[in-house]
Amino acid sequence: MAQPRRFRTANRRYRFLFWPMMAVYVAIILGTKFLIDDDKAPDWLNAACAIAATLPLFIVLYAIRRQTDETDEYTRMRYLKALRDAGLITSGLLFLVGFLQIFDVIGDIEVFWFGPVFFFAFGLARLPECFGRTV
Amino acid sequence: MFWPDGVKLGMKNILRILRTEKGWSQAELADRLDVSRQSVNAIETGKYDPSLPLAFAIARLFGRSIEEIFDDEAESAEAAE
Repeated sequence: MAQPRRFRTANRRYRFLFWPMMAVYVAIILGTKFLIDDDKAPDWLNAACAIAATLPLFIVLYAIRRQTDETDEYTRMRYLKALRDAGLITSGLLFLVGFLQIFDVIGDIEVFWFGPVFFFAFGLARLPECFGRTV
Repeated sequence: MFWPDGVKLGMKNILRILRTEKGWSQAELADRLDVSRQSVNAIETGKYDPSLPLAFAIARLFGRSIEEIFDDEAESAEAAE
C-alpha cells in the first residue's frame, strides 16, 4: 500500500483546524466565565455551556487523528508513540489518584484535569524531537 | 560503487553523502520529499528504514537505484560468509 508522504499538507490542515478551534474554545470559556453565573443559571444552560466548551476540543482531537493519518510515515510513527506514552502516563496517574482516593489519602480531584495531563504528557513525549540536529 | 572495496563505512545508506553532494540541507531534502526534517535525519543515521514508496521517492530524486543508496546489511553479511 502506498503510504502518504504529505508532511506539509498534513501540518497545514492541522493548523487550519487547531488555531481557530483554540480561539473558539478560549472565547467560550471566557464568555461562560464572565457572562453566566453557573450557580444561578438553569441546568440546561450550564449543560449547553459545557457541551459548547467541549465541541472545539473534540474537533482538535479529530484534527490530531487526521494529521497522524495524513502525515509522512516517520512522523506518524513518532506521533503514535507519543500518543501511546501520553495514554499510558495518564492512565497510570488515573490509577494512582483513584487508589489514593480509595484509601482516603487524598480528597476529590476534578476529572477534568486528566485531559490537560494527557496533552502535557503528549507534549513531553514529543519534546526530544525538538532537539534533533539539522545538518 | 560509491566506496572502495573492503572499506567498512558502518552506515546503512549513503543518503547523507548524496545530499551533501547536492549541497542540500536536511530541511531542503525533507522539503523535496515532503517529509519532516526529522524523517531525513532518522533515515541518514540509520534509526529508521523508509518504506518502499519513500525509498523509491529518494531513489528517483537522486537518479539512482534503491540498492545503490541503501545497503542490505543482511545480504552483505551472507556474502561475506
